[in-house]
Amino acid sequence: MSEQIREQVSAFLDGELPNTETELLLKRLTRDGELRESFGRYALIGEALRGAGSHILTRGFAAGVNLAIDGEPAQVPGHTHQPRASRWWRPLAGVTVAAGVATVAIVALQQRAISPGLRVASAPTAQNAGIAPSGVAAQNASVQGGGGSREALSYTVPVSSADVPAALSPARLTNYVFAHSKYSLGLGQRGVLADLLIEDDEPQPAPVQGVAQPPLTPDVRVAP
Amino acid sequence: MTRSQQSRAYWLVPCALVGALLTTLPRDARGADDPREWLEKMNKALATRNYDGTFFHLSGGRVETMRIVHRVRAGRVTERLQSLDGSGREFVRANGELTCYLPDQHTVLVEQRQDKGPFLGSLPQFDASVSDFYRIEALPATHILGRPARVIAVNPKDQFRFGYRLWLDEKTAMPLKTQLCDSRGQVIEQIFFARLDMPENIPDSDLAPTVRTEGMRWVRQGPSPDSTSAALAAYRASQLPPGFRLTIQGAQTLGGASAPASHLVYSDGVATVSVFVEEQPATAPGAAAAAGAAAAAGAASAAGAAAAPGAVAAPDAQPEPPLRGLARVGSGYAFSTVVQGHQVTAVGEVPAQTVEFIAHSVKIYSGGEPPRQ
Repeated sequence: MSEQIREQVSAFLDGELPNTETELLLKRLTRDGELRESFGRYALIGEALRGAGSHILTRGFAAGVNLAIDGEPAQVPGHTHQPRASRWWRPLAGVTVAAGVATVAIVALQQRAISPGLRVASAPTAQNAGIAPSGVAAQNASVQGGGGSREALSYTVPVSSADVPAALSPARLTNYVFAHSKYSLGLGQRGVLADLLIEDDEPQPAPVQGVAQPPLTPDVRVAP
Repeated sequence: MTRSQQSRAYWLVPCALVGALLTTLPRDARGADDPREWLEKMNKALATRNYDGTFFHLSGGRVETMRIVHRVRAGRVTERLQSLDGSGREFVRANGELTCYLPDQHTVLVEQRQDKGPFLGSLPQFDASVSDFYRIEALPATHILGRPARVIAVNPKDQFRFGYRLWLDEKTAMPLKTQLCDSRGQVIEQIFFARLDMPENIPDSDLAPTVRTEGMRWVRQGPSPDSTSAALAAYRASQLPPGFRLTIQGAQTLGGASAPASHLVYSDGVATVSVFVEEQPATAPGAAAAAGAAAAAGAASAAGAAAAPGAVAAPDAQPEPPLRGLARVGSGYAFSTVVQGHQVTAVGEVPAQTVEFIAHSVKIYSGGEPPRQ
């Protein structure tokens, strides 16, 4: 990514990119997978440096973005884009400290990719009584215009982690996610559907075997 | 399961469900600056306005550019969600159907997803207990996209659910930026608009898919049964994280499956977890071996379970090995395990431990009704 693009991405995230340049950036982002990846990484780092948890927000965030609400254009009086030397991405070019922040931010997400079979013992144990139910009516999806294998009938793959082991088939997982999206509430549903739109053939982080999670110490409400 | 239960607000609109939290307070007890009041405004804006926007979806270090077009005309909603990069996939909801155009898969999926009546009418009603698990607060106002904006935080009070931060346009209450955060405030997923228009009218052409469907396979998902057999009702999570309760129970035929899975939906009013319970078919020896030693007990149990009478197995389908483990899916998690010869999978936009906890607690009640939740 060129220095100019870096400047644009940074200015956009800071709300200081003029409308015309924003449109160009959007077009670049839709074409350039590497740029999108960098964009996402920078956005994460930006949140970390801004202190997302402390709600410190950049005034005028993306002020130059083309927004027209009720026909009223965005107000950017006298705005001219002047890159700041202190942008949050700048230190990442070569300063170790900033790179450390980046690493933390990325690793924090990678740790969300988890291999199977973890912490089984820490969860409640299902009881062994009972007989498998029966009488389930079968219902197949009908296929028009072609045969197709069972796999082909499955939905697409939104799984963010390529470390999903063989036992956790991405196609099967995706079917669950799609079915879940019907009942997912609020912002969660939008996120689910957005995930389903995402291409799934990009390289993914490696598996993480031992993931530190908060202990399962639930104040469990036992179902009556 | 009733139709009204099935009817759920969609895409951006259900974002407003967070606003349903405010129903726990009388309106006159809240001021104009009350964050709940703003969530209610957002609710209304999302349900009643036309909008056409381009937004970034950031999750897991990746960013995707997407366009959403939402039109409300004579009480009927038509929506299109389109990936502008990468997959080229599009989802269109119109006339009670969700159509998923998947050009990279050469497939078009059609599923019935009815939404009867106005969206606001289909919002779930939360009880006061929701506020026991989330804290809603107004953060200092700011500017975003060149507009003055209110910032509302919906913070989880424990580690079993995620929270949200919402940047709402001061003028229209539309969410210009949203963040999904964990209990420590770390951002998990972020969506923000680069462009958002709210036109008076949206032409049909803006809601038509751009994908060329010639030669693509069309798959029409049959309607899921609303009522299920007593056997399907015999699954329950015996333990739940605080605040979660069973809200929907039914069956869902999953893509490529030969029989419907029991589908239980647990919610705390904001977060939702789906639990799918499927009888495992007799497992081929090779598959059982592939599943590993840890799966041996479950596989053996599955092999001992008779196939469901009436179930139609795909003639060429090989029994799949049981799923076991945890995976991140989008901004949430999925966890699979085997319980008494049944594949149990919990999926939701919740922390990993929540899906694990619920999946592990599923029980099969063979004799009589399961406990009420």
